[in-house]
Amino acid sequence: MIRVGFVGFGRMGITHFSILNCHPDVRIVAVCDQSKMLLNVLKKRVDVAVYTDMSQMFEEANLDLVIISTPTSSHSEIVQLAIASNCHIFVEKPFSLTPAQGEQALSLLDGQQLVNQVGYVNRFNEVFVEVKRLITQGVIGDIQTFNSEMYGATVLKDAKSGWRGTTNLGGGCMYEFASHCIDLVVYLIGSPDKVVGSVMQSIFSAGVEDLVTSTFVYDNGCSGTISVNWSDETFRKPANIFTIIGSKGKIIADKHEYKIYLKQEDISNNYQKGWNTRYITEFSKPVRFYVRGNEFTSQLDNVIDCIKNKRIENVCDFSEAIKTDRIMADIRQDAVRALQEPDDGALNSPLLAKTGKKLSLWEKLRKFGERKNA
Amino acid sequence: MLDRVIFGDNQFFGINHMSEAKAQSLDERFRNLNAITDVIDIAYECGIRGFMLNTNDRSIEICDYLRKNSSRYPDLAMYPSMPYAHKYAAAVAEKGIFGALKDSILAGSSAAEIGKMVAKGGRSLFEQDMIKVMQLMIDVEMKMFRGLNVKVVFLQNIVTDLLLGYGVKDIFIGFAEYIRERYKAEPGFTTMNMPMTVEFLLDCGIENPVVCSSINKAGYFMNPSMKAYEKAIKDKKFRPIAMSILASGAVPAPEAVEYICKQPQIESIVFGASSRGHIAETKNLIDNYSQ
Repeated sequence: MIRVGFVGFGRMGITHFSILNCHPDVRIVAVCDQSKMLLNVLKKRVDVAVYTDMSQMFEEANLDLVIISTPTSSHSEIVQLAIASNCHIFVEKPFSLTPAQGEQALSLLDGQQLVNQVGYVNRFNEVFVEVKRLITQGVIGDIQTFNSEMYGATVLKDAKSGWRGTTNLGGGCMYEFASHCIDLVVYLIGSPDKVVGSVMQSIFSAGVEDLVTSTFVYDNGCSGTISVNWSDETFRKPANIFTIIGSKGKIIADKHEYKIYLKQEDISNNYQKGWNTRYITEFSKPVRFYVRGNEFTSQLDNVIDCIKNKRIENVCDFSEAIKTDRIMADIRQDAVRALQEPDDGALNSPLLAKTGKKLSLWEKLRKFGERKNA
Repeated sequence: MLDRVIFGDNQFFGINHMSEAKAQSLDERFRNLNAITDVIDIAYECGIRGFMLNTNDRSIEICDYLRKNSSRYPDLAMYPSMPYAHKYAAAVAEKGIFGALKDSILAGSSAAEIGKMVAKGGRSLFEQDMIKVMQLMIDVEMKMFRGLNVKVVFLQNIVTDLLLGYGVKDIFIGFAEYIRERYKAEPGFTTMNMPMTVEFLLDCGIENPVVCSSINKAGYFMNPSMKAYEKAIKDKKFRPIAMSILASGAVPAPEAVEYICKQPQIESIVFGASSRGHIAETKNLIDNYSQ
């Protein structure tokens, strides 16, 4: 039996618990969270030890695997504790607040036989897995350009307090939303050599960005854009849309279906010349236990599978996830440059003016400058 | 007796599991209450008497309409499904779990209930008596169905399956008892993991439970496997309701209905459609294959 502990018991922690608790090879033995009330409710019904001090949990609970679902700012410290306790790790996305924090954690992993995975759940979505296969097979030829979009109605008013409204705790559209969108680029296309034309814009939030756009440039001549907005109320659920144009055709994919346009018929994949639509119903496979979507179960079962088979390499390991952290830092710096401000670190939030507010962009810029000079 | 055919409501609320584009166009079409009630009328004319309704802001309007026009629908039977998961998910993201629970209960409860809660110690109530909290939440959501004939109250799959993972029996038992006692209706459980849910409910001592799940020839949304579903339907004592029989369009209607009707244990079929042609065709198919 694999002994599992949880740090952080919010929406994601609660979901992961349900999925893992009925895995035949897993025994959940401990949960750590700051909310004593939540722990009391849990303890009454489920046979686990509860902790508010995670060091104590790592010391006492003899964990094989830890599931970390805390705000991003705390990931680095918890990951380091877990490595010191020789514990396999699954941590929610994004991996770290800054690339430097991530690198430090990554260096500690060196030489350790520890399974490590970050919760970029789209890498386990059956449509995106299929799109990755098609690209790798060269079905649409050499990639010329792409557009990775993510929209949702997550923030429709200012989140005044809490970590979601605070950049250096891991709040904001960049960490929470754009990270998914960028990770899909890393997964399907690869890391860009340069990011240009980045904008981080506030729509409702005072302290964080609600919209991120950027252009990715590659040395091989390919380019692409990301467009991310978590304040778009027309989306019932967060949605990713990925469009890729290659020398032989084009793919438009979301979590439920993809359309592929080919200049020539592809017999081996059963595509006709022109447009072909494939729905997830056609190639989706059942999972052992379903809670929020097949991909949520598949990603955790992958962790368990890696531990059981002593397989360290992983489609979504720390070294892969840190690429997204680096790109997010690059976008932030590029957005600062775009506002002609000197760049003094990775945690600036160079927000454009709130839409609909009377402050003009230039007034906002001036205020921004004043704040920095002060 | 459950209705053999229950009309589903996903199409009214812009829900389509296969395509986001289709979901958007449905949302556009059913923006007006009239568009929804027109389709309800067609279903009723086709002989459908059972209607499933997920609790949300739009369903309040639909219930108001059905109450006002009750003489037009004398044999109507409602199958509510709760909770309004999206509302809670959004509230939890904003205010945390306890903030969201408190807000939703306060918004829908009478002054006397709130008084009792405060007397019991507000926040600690959540720790002490989750069952009471659940009952208050059920009351809040059931308010919109007052005066309507309610046959089964379903716990939505997102909640059923999440709690199933934890294996917490008292919540399932508490739900079943409260729906029977307070609302004189049958408790129902919607799930994406039917064999496991059935096993668990029987373990809880909930006899012959009503369980609604995707059952289709494509094996879509049937976890852990189609085989396990067929076996559970054959061997376990429960009342299966089939939904997603067309697997979002992957199975042609005649084949889909034939597959269900070959399993005589399946008591009811939930399906949703928007056009007279589709509604009449599916209803006729079910009637014919059920003979």
